[in-house]
Amino acid sequence: MMNVRILISIAVLAAAVASLPAQAADVAAGAAKVKEVCAACHGQDGNSANADYPRLAGQHRDYLAKALRDYKSGARKNAIMGGMTAALTRDDIDSVAAYYASLPPVVNSRY
Amino acid sequence: MNPKTLRTSVVAAFCVAAPMAAFAADGAAPAGNAAEGAQKVQMCQGCHGIPGWRTAFPEVYSVPKIAGQHAAYLEKALHEYKDGERSHPSMRAIAASLSDRDIANLAAYYGQTGLAATVR
Repeated sequence: MMNVRILISIAVLAAAVASLPAQAADVAAGAAKVKEVCAACHGQDGNSANADYPRLAGQHRDYLAKALRDYKSGARKNAIMGGMTAALTRDDIDSVAAYYASLPPVVNSRY
Repeated sequence: MNPKTLRTSVVAAFCVAAPMAAFAADGAAPAGNAAEGAQKVQMCQGCHGIPGWRTAFPEVYSVPKIAGQHAAYLEKALHEYKDGERSHPSMRAIAASLSDRDIANLAAYYGQTGLAATVR
């Protein structure tokens, strides 16, 4: 019984450690993709100067990813974002979302 | 024109002119009034006022942060929900109950709430 517990603990720890570098890689890959696709409107720092384009810095990662998936699938309709997301892969979406979520927002709000 | 009619006319003229003057003073900024918007945020806070709150239906994800977002974007988003262009069950129901003025006011409130926090 004890061995099982130890094994489970080791597995959980290993999984946690393994996910850390993966997350860092996501952010780095996201930064490159953002520069290429998103930055012109949303800013590389995620705080767009143009009020028509939402600020994304510090937004929840899962919300950003959902928005991108919805634009890509057409569930959310926007001529610009539909075009922008068409060429994004699932991995691109996850890394772009991870990148913008990791940035400090203009306003440090939890809401 | 009797005095009563005159008074009514003056009041009516003021009601039209005052918002126009406010709009002109703001220039390109949205015409929303943040203080009036603050009176309406109760319906938003149940989800947008709880850190880390998640939606429940039809898909689970974090409710977006909106404080400090551009007011123009927030206004557009609420109109899209109200008009049915953007679909989220709760947001559509809530936006449907808002007048155009409520929407402008709420957008100004959330846009400004964030900006005030930055300036401090």
